[in-house]
Amino acid sequence: MRIAGRAWVVGDDINTDLLYPATCFRLPPAERRWQTLSANRPGWAREVRPGDVLVAGSNFGMGSSRPAADNLRDLGIRLVVADSINGLFFRTAINTGLPILEVPGVSRSVREGSRLEADLTEGWVRTDGRELQGRPLPPFLARILEDGGVLARLAKQGYID
Amino acid sequence: MSRPQTQIEKILSHHSTEAPGRPVEPEDIVEVEVDRLVLLDMAATHPEFMGHLPHRIQHPERIAWVFDHLVPPPTIELATGLAKLRELARRWGIREVFDVGRGGISHPLMAERGWVRPGEILANTDSHTCAAGALGCAGRGVGMLEVMSILCTGKTWFRVGGTVRARLEGKLPRGVYGKDLFLALAGTYGGIPGKNLEFQGPGVAHLAIPTRQVVATMGAEIGAEFVLFPPDDRALEYVRARVPAGETLRPVEADPEAHYEQEWPLALDPLVPLVAEPGRVTRNVKPVQELSHVAIQRAVVGSCANGTLEDLEQVSTILAGRKVHPDVVLTVTPNTSAVFAEASRLGHLETIVRAGGLVTNATCGACFGGHLGVLGDGEVCVTSTTRNFQGRMGSSQARIYLASSATVAASAVTGHLTDPRELLSEAP
Ligand code: SF4
Repeated sequence: MRIAGRAWVVGDDINTDLLYPATCFRLPPAERRWQTLSANRPGWAREVRPGDVLVAGSNFGMGSSRPAADNLRDLGIRLVVADSINGLFFRTAINTGLPILEVPGVSRSVREGSRLEADLTEGWVRTDGRELQGRPLPPFLARILEDGGVLARLAKQGYID
Repeated sequence: MSRPQTQIEKILSHHSTEAPGRPVEPEDIVEVEVDRLVLLDMAATHPEFMGHLPHRIQHPERIAWVFDHLVPPPTIELATGLAKLRELARRWGIREVFDVGRGGISHPLMAERGWVRPGEILANTDSHTCAAGALGCAGRGVGMLEVMSILCTGKTWFRVGGTVRARLEGKLPRGVYGKDLFLALAGTYGGIPGKNLEFQGPGVAHLAIPTRQVVATMGAEIGAEFVLFPPDDRALEYVRARVPAGETLRPVEADPEAHYEQEWPLALDPLVPLVAEPGRVTRNVKPVQELSHVAIQRAVVGSCANGTLEDLEQVSTILAGRKVHPDVVLTVTPNTSAVFAEASRLGHLETIVRAGGLVTNATCGACFGGHLGVLGDGEVCVTSTTRNFQGRMGSSQARIYLASSATVAASAVTGHLTDPRELLSEAP
């Protein structure tokens, strides 16, 4: 699975309270995305263009089970790459259909605004003529993404409409 | 001989759908049967769930539905949503519904009701499900979408992470509690996203179950997948007192030769009361005494980690014969209805209220900025809940310090961050 796009770079410890602040619970679903990173990077959500890639530091997605990956997906973020990723966020991203890849050291190797290309199942990232190797996405999880997330899969299997 | 395994590797291997009993190792993806599943009131706030309900579900007898985050419901939408969830539970044949006033916060509640059992796999939407590891149960928060998948299929998957071993020596001194133990680890060793944490060593035997529960619950804050204590006599005694007679337990221990990625030694005797400063828990911890200049306006005791009877007792011991500082609002939230009742019988709640504290019903409440006292712009809070992230408890302009319930109570009395040992030694 190959994905390419323009990179945004954020630091370490971007948690779900920053990605999906509690105010989201009180907003209609279509408006929640604009709250993404509003506490630490006000205005950012409005600058994201569909197809952009988010590059982050360590412990990305630390925190609660709230649907934080939805906000990134709804902003049009096509791929998340981070030095290290919280296990629950990783699962939620896959289930939500948001491609995600763990590549140690990536946050210090990518310049904001650069074009970045990645291959999920091979696990590499290329940017500015450099290549970094991360943890390839196992086929079991790549299939959930290919199905379009877990809801699409459950619908295909006849469990839900 | 097959590869020796850690406690979590063994539990996952036993539950594998593909090759039950075949050893697993880091980087494997294991598909497993789920023994027990917990749904929350938050399900009502998920459009994906409410809009795509499963036609039928697997194993309703293995499912509990707990209303805990926003109870009693503060909005019309939520009140309407809860009514729908009750109706769904009836339709699906889910009998274990812990409704408003009859339950509490899911993690301590499930342990209290015998739903947390060693060697089993427990799934819940919520990230602090690792709390179950206090009793040797592989508990994991998996999010709403995964819970929908489990409802439909009865199964889930885990990517096996490497395991870290914390070796505890000695005993916690007076005035130092489970929260301090956890903060010592998080401050010293930092985060372990995707990895597991197993506790061993002679110090474990000295830790009461509620203390282990605090530590296991807080494991989410270092990004641990699973946090496991061994199913020792103390744990088994706690569980046996809560499961129906005749039901067998299947505790699992680590193999003696198991491979651990890292060793975290920790001596308990020299520990002092600690605080995590605002923003994050990992590598952001200091002794309370170094921060005594920090004035506070809000103090919160509660959450799945620190709303136990022991916490309420610590608070009432410190507040007895004293008053909450006039500049401070203290909120105390017991974590289950049973804890509320027992703390009431023992007089702890009366002590807290007479000192000027507010006691709420058992709910998540302020812990996630949901209701019952969110933080305003510029307020400084010391809390024994689980997270100190920016914006976590309300305003993104508030500052949150994380500590033990005793530290919160002592700080509520003085109006600034205070080492509880200062008030315990001169307890009136
Ligand atoms: S008490 Fe806080 S941390 Fe625990 S389940 Fe509720 S919101 Fe989550």
